[in-house]
This record gives sequence, C-alpha cells and structure tokens, in this order.
Amino acid sequence: MTYVRHKTPLPPAGKVEVRSTEGEGAANRHTLFAFVRPLRLTPEQVSWLQISPLALVLFCLVAAPIVLFLVVSFFDYDRIGIYPAFLMDNYRDLLTTPATLRVYISSLKFALIVWAITLFLGFNIAWFLIFHIRTTMMRTILFLLCAIPFWTSGIIRTIAWIPFLGRNGAFNQILMALHITEKPLTFLLFSDFAVIITYVHLFTLLMIGPIANSMGKIDPALLEAARDAGASRWRTMTDVVIPLSKTGIALGSILVFTQVMGDYFVVKTMSGGQSASIVSLLSNQINAMEYPPASANAMLLVIFVAITVACMMRVVDVRQELVK
Amino acid sequence: MDPRFDVELVAVTKRYGTTLAVDDISLRIPRASYCCLLGPSGCGKTTTLRMIAGHEAVSAGDILINGDNVTLDPPIRRGTAMMFQSYALFPHLNCLDNVAFSLKMRGIGKAERHAKAREFLGLVHMANYAERLPSQLSGGQQQRVALARALITRPKVLLLDEPLSALDPFLRIKVREELKRLQRELGITFIHVTHSQDEAMAMADLMVVMDDGRIRQSGPPREVFEQPVSAFVARFIGGHNVLQGARGPIAVRADRCRLGVAGDSPHVSGRVAAVEYQGTMVRVALAMDSGDEASALVPDAAFYSAPVEPGDAATLVWSEPDAHVLAEM
Amino acid sequence: MVVAVSGSGRALGPSENRPWTFYALGGLFFGFLAFLYGPMFVIYLLSFQGPNGGVTFPMVGTSLTWFRDIVKPEQMADIPAAFERSIFLASVVSAITVVTSVAAGLGFRRRFRGSFILFYLAVASLVMPSLLVGFGIGLGFQVLGLHNNMFTSALGAQLTWTMPFGLFAMFAVVNRFNRSYEEAAADLGATAWQRLRHVTLPILLPGIIGVAMGAFTLSYDEYARTTLTIGNHNTLPLEIYALISSATSPMLFAIGTVTTAVSFLLIGMTLVVVFRMQRRRRAIATEN
Repeated sequence: MTYVRHKTPLPPAGKVEVRSTEGEGAANRHTLFAFVRPLRLTPEQVSWLQISPLALVLFCLVAAPIVLFLVVSFFDYDRIGIYPAFLMDNYRDLLTTPATLRVYISSLKFALIVWAITLFLGFNIAWFLIFHIRTTMMRTILFLLCAIPFWTSGIIRTIAWIPFLGRNGAFNQILMALHITEKPLTFLLFSDFAVIITYVHLFTLLMIGPIANSMGKIDPALLEAARDAGASRWRTMTDVVIPLSKTGIALGSILVFTQVMGDYFVVKTMSGGQSASIVSLLSNQINAMEYPPASANAMLLVIFVAITVACMMRVVDVRQELVK
Repeated sequence: MDPRFDVELVAVTKRYGTTLAVDDISLRIPRASYCCLLGPSGCGKTTTLRMIAGHEAVSAGDILINGDNVTLDPPIRRGTAMMFQSYALFPHLNCLDNVAFSLKMRGIGKAERHAKAREFLGLVHMANYAERLPSQLSGGQQQRVALARALITRPKVLLLDEPLSALDPFLRIKVREELKRLQRELGITFIHVTHSQDEAMAMADLMVVMDDGRIRQSGPPREVFEQPVSAFVARFIGGHNVLQGARGPIAVRADRCRLGVAGDSPHVSGRVAAVEYQGTMVRVALAMDSGDEASALVPDAAFYSAPVEPGDAATLVWSEPDAHVLAEM
Repeated sequence: MVVAVSGSGRALGPSENRPWTFYALGGLFFGFLAFLYGPMFVIYLLSFQGPNGGVTFPMVGTSLTWFRDIVKPEQMADIPAAFERSIFLASVVSAITVVTSVAAGLGFRRRFRGSFILFYLAVASLVMPSLLVGFGIGLGFQVLGLHNNMFTSALGAQLTWTMPFGLFAMFAVVNRFNRSYEEAAADLGATAWQRLRHVTLPILLPGIIGVAMGAFTLSYDEYARTTLTIGNHNTLPLEIYALISSATSPMLFAIGTVTTAVSFLLIGMTLVVVFRMQRRRRAIATEN
C-alpha cells in the first residue's frame, strides 16, 4: 500500500481557508452551505470518523462484555439472581473440579487432531490448486467447489452426517455392498470419530483459503531456481514453500483452532453426549442461570484463547499480512 | 573427448497444444562464447533458453551440452545455471544463504558452504551485503547476488533471461561490461536472451536473431549487421532501410544514405516526415512516394549546411556498392 | 561440476507429462470434494423421502410431504415466520456491515492513534468463542435491565461477527485499489465527496457487493452468538436447532434443502451481478 502520510500544517492564525489535503469526510467550500465556516479535519480525525461505528460496536459489545465477565465472576448467586460481591469461590470451584481439566483436555485433544488433519488437507489442496492447476479459470472453479458448502449453515452441514454415518446410513450400506464389512459399523456415529469428521468437514476451508493465498504470492521462478540448485521436491517444499507460506499456515491454524475451541453444537450433536467441550459445559451453566461461575469459566476461556492466539501470532505478523 | 561446442541444439521443437513455440531449430554454440538470443517478444527465445535449462520439456529434437545429450536430464545434471529475469532470490533467505542454497541441497556443512558463498559474493563485489535480505537490496545488487548464486554451481553454461531489463540505462551499460568481463575470466559460455539489438551487438560473439519460433540468422554481430539475410533481420537489428532495388529487395544502411538530387546513383523520392537531432548525427525520416518509410542518418555538419524541414520534398540517394541484396523477403 | 544429488533425478527431468505428485494431489483433492459433498447430497436426497420413510435409508418412495410439512400451521416450530425473521435480520445486518466496514476499510488506510487496539479487538471478536460473545451481550443487557430483542441485542451480537469479517475483506479490497485514481480525481477538481462517490466507490463496488453477500450469509446461518441474545422469537437456525433436539423427521432435511437453495440463489445472483459488472467495464475499456 503506497500511502504517504501527510502532515497537514496547522492553519496560521488569521488565515481562514486551509483545506485538508485528503479525507473523504472533509467538508469543502463548494457545498450549498458555503456560508458555514468549513469544517476542517486532519486526516487522522477523518480516519477516526470512519472507524467510529466499528469501534463503537467492538468496544460496547466485545470489550465491555469481557470486563463484565471479570466483574460478575466475583459475584454471589442463588437460584433467583446474582448479587454483587467479591468472592473467589467461583474461581476456586472452577479450578478445583476435575471436570474443568477434563473438558479442557477433551477440547484441546479435538483441536489438535482437527488442526493436524485440516493442516495436512489444507496444505496439500492449496498446493494442488496453486502449483498444479495451470489456468486461473480452472483454479477459480476448483476453489469455488471447495467454498460452496461453506455457504450452507453449519447446523445443516452437521446434521447431514447423521444419515450418512448412522447404523443404516449411507456409508455403512456402501461398505456392506462392497463386502468390506458384514455388519454395520457402530462407532461411526455419536462418537469422537463423528465429532472429528464433522469438524474437518466444517473447517478445512479455513485452512485452504489462507494457505492458498500465501502460496499464490510465491513467484513460480523461485521453484525453478530451487530445482536449478538441485533441490528435490521435498527440499523445495521444506526449504522454500513452507517458509514462504507460514503466514497462511498460521492464519489458518488460528481460525481452525479457535473454531474448534469455541464449539458446543457439534460436540453435543455428534458425540451422543459422550464428550463435552469447554463451551458446552459453559452453556449448561448458562442454561442453569449460574451466571457468576459461567463468567469465571468464560474469563478462563478468554484468557486461554488469547494466550494461544497470541503465541500463534508471534510466529508471523498477521497484521502485516492482512493490511498488506 | 573435447567437444568443440558447449551447446548444440539439434532440430529442437516445442509445441504447446497445437501452437508451435519453437520450430525445428538447430544451433551450435562454440566453446566459451557469449551468445545472444535476440528477437521480438513471443519469438521463442525464452522458451529456447528454458529448454536448455531443463525447465521446459523438449517436444522433439535433442540438446547437447559439452557433447552429452542432456535432453531428459534434470537441471542440476546439465551443468547449466540460470539467472532469472526477476532474479528469483528466495525472499526468506539472506544473500549468503541464497548463494549457499545449492550447496545446502548437496548436503554440504554450514561452515564450508558459507565460506564458499562468501567467496562468490566477493566475486560480484557483494561481500559486504551477506546478511541482508533480498528486499533490502537495489535491483542491481539483487542481480549480482543472483549471479553469484548461479555461478556457485560452477556451470559450464550460464543462462541469462533478460538480465538487464530491470535496470536503469546507465547501470545497464556498466553491467554489460561486467558480464562480458566475467564471461571472459571464467571461460564459460553465456547464453543471454534479450530483445534489445544494442545489447546483443555490444556483447555477443554469436548473435542469433529469432522470429516466430525460428532462427532467422546467426553469426557474429558484424556479419549480421553487414549482411542481413532478410527484410525482417534488417529491420529488426535497426539502422537499415529496406527498399525496392532493381533485382528485388535491398537493404541500405541509413548512415550510408544521403539527401540529395536524383542523378546517376540509385535514389528514391519522398517527403520529410520528421527530423531528429541525435548529437553527432541527425536522423531524417522520410515518407517515400511508394508509401514506404526510410531514413537517412546524416552527420550534423552536413545536415546544417543544407537543412530540411518536415513537409519538404526530398530525395534519398545511396551508392550502388552500399546496397545489400536481401536473399529473402 | 556438480554431480547428481539423489537417485530420483530422472523423475525431476523435464517432461511434458505431469509428475506423479499431480495425480496424488489430484486424487486427494477429488476425494476431499466427495467427502465435502457426499453427506450433503444424502440429506438433499432424503428430504424427498416418502411419507412413511424415516431419517435414514432406505428411501420409501419419494414425495414432497416433508416440504409441505414445513409450512403446515400445526407444527411445533413456526418455520415460515422464523425464515422471514432471518431474512429480514440478515438484510439489516448486511446493510449496516457494508456501510461501516467500507468506511472503516478506508479509514484504516492511514495510520491513526488507536488503530492497533482496534485491529486486535476485531481479531478478538472473530476468535472469541461465539457463544461467549452472545453470553456477554445477553448478560450486559440483563445487568442494564434491558430486554433481549432481535433488533437490539441479537443485531449487535451478529454485528460483532460480520463487522470484523467485513473489515478484513475490505483490507483485501482496498489494498488492490490504486490510490493514484483518487489523486487524479483531486487534480481534476473533484471534492472529497465527489472522489468518494464517483471514483472510489465505483471501483471498489465488486468487493463491496462481496462483503454484502458474505455478511448476509454469515448472519443468515448464525446461531451461537444469537441464541442467548434473540429474546422471544427465534431465527431460522435457532428454530432448526430446537427441532433437532425435539424431533427427528425428514422435515429437518427438507428445511436444510430449502435453506441451502436460498443460500445458493443468493450467491448465484451476486456472482451474476458482479460478473456482469466486470464484463461491462471490460466492454467499456475495450471500446476506449
């Protein structure tokens, strides 16, 4: 982005007209209201005006609720309501129940498995689309084919697996028709397997997109230069392509990881009640109107996600990538 | 065996689907020579270079390097090294690691490959920039690093794809001299693709003019310039008027043409279209009565003793021995 | 002279044939597509299940019974009303998102104090578990003594999802925009407003339409942020969510088929509009 920062000098006293050199919001003297003293805005003020609605929403509806979690997490509560207090009980309960550790481990396990699978799929599919498909037209079509299901509701895509994986489901019938198994497999549905399959189905695109975007910026001459220098396919991948697409890998990883960590619906629906996630536990507490412990739980999760994402963002400057 | 040629192309053809990019070309490049492939864009010169490099498969024909048939060999086994038009420096590696890359691929230890890479950076006067990333270098500096990276593989043939096109005109002339010097000192063959006839004439021992996938003429630059075989070559290398002579088309060098009066010597008449002052010479562009265009390069003193202006009637005169009959149109 | 490095050199030689990796990765790619589409085709198929059929195979005849069930009034869920609400809410969300994120995208082209915080807040809004965002907003409303409502809390909750998305999409759009167009317009005497109206917005328009469509579908499919902020009337995804736990019949799949069809219709229309726009521009460009 070529942007030269303009330093607009302050108008010297006595001078009336100094118009901001840029800024879409700046009023100017050709308007109907020429008699009104023109509103003079510095470029920075114009920017503030432009981002203000976004800032308002994010501060009121994202930042403020986090502060609210912090406050409410110390409150007292009973079946009827919540009461201002400064109790450590909610945190003590949260950190001492084995259930907390169990759901964190369970969610982390899902997140890591799904991350590994989607990374493998995403990297290889992006590679195929970028380095093996030669025409832009074909690449766009194939990418759209991957992206189209993403526009269907996650709920629908989740329940789509039920008739597919069930005891009499399509998958079992195919297996039996091919005589691969005699009896229908029962572990397919309502199991960790089903949860992972569904996650992979829902989130692989989040990996393909950013990685393909990074790979697309690699000059194909670099691969030839590597080949010229005697690099095998494998060395070309490890020494050239992976370092140059690590931004996409990190971005995709952040998206997949946070989506899995934040899920409650897939776990509830597909595990058949056998597994829980952090958020499904939290949703139970919310449904039971236990807001202070839920807030403490939320606080812990926010900190956990913030730390993990911050760690991943240390690998690459995501801001640089997005703004550039 | 000591083959006389560093590179031999034998009836090499490249097809993309139904289009012919390179059409049955044969070429022999003698030992340790500077060869320029010259032609307009889309003439097949870059494709030819890439086939020699092993980055493009040959549809038919053979490529021999140093007497070995390398048609099916991967780039690293050919003894060639390529310098890419965009330089293709790895953006995530500093200059030293860029130059050391091929040594790393061969499994050479860090200390040894870095020492070697420093040596080659020194060869191109870039030793002080070893730790810099490519993005921190100017175009000219990037080119030197790319050169060092190509030379460290100790190639028999260095392939350069439009190496000067990204440089400004002053730098271009300096780098030209330097490339020529390196080629002489290393005693290897350079194959240099360009669309600039100045560049080719200034540098080449062997100049190969290509058009439409075929070689139109090859030889030492002086021979090509003195005796262009066709109207295309005469026009493309510049400095020639292609005119209709008594026995078919002829080429006459513009600097051998004068403005004068119709007499015994051959001549054509037309009107002055434009006058360009070029310092030592003045170029007078003429629109001939036949509809063709021609120009005369006149020494400045001669021009100003009898100046003409656009719109004036003029006659282009040359002497018979300066007319070169073109073998083909 | 450098001698060969590995035994697999032959495979790396130039060849007009595709390398084996092409076939391996191509196989993986089409396998993935089958994985992606397989289950969805199963539910599209099962939504045409005969009246006596169940939620799994085999198909017992074919019928439109389950589609008719969707609009039957005595259902426990009022799907048509929820559908209407969803479309309406999504339209509002989409409109607000477009205006605010285009403005913010333009604003972010300059450095300004606070841009750093705002950027990371937008990232946080996307990576925070959605249910938590909804919970926070719902809790906030309760603390302030406000009632949850579709056009206050639910709208806000959805905006925390669509606005950061719109912002990041606009970054990509704005970065491809060559600033010299605006400078040229300014040189030609265009005022700030005229530059925006006649130069910037028309050039960015395809991207802006993309943001509008993206925001619409994100809102239309949203459930995790909405569930704790919606109040008394459910949107379509929430209605479906309620149906899953209470009843399972092929009607669920019929709803899925219909909502997917709506999404596709919308995407198709947008793509046609954008495509036409680009073609018209290209036509104008070639005329000139």
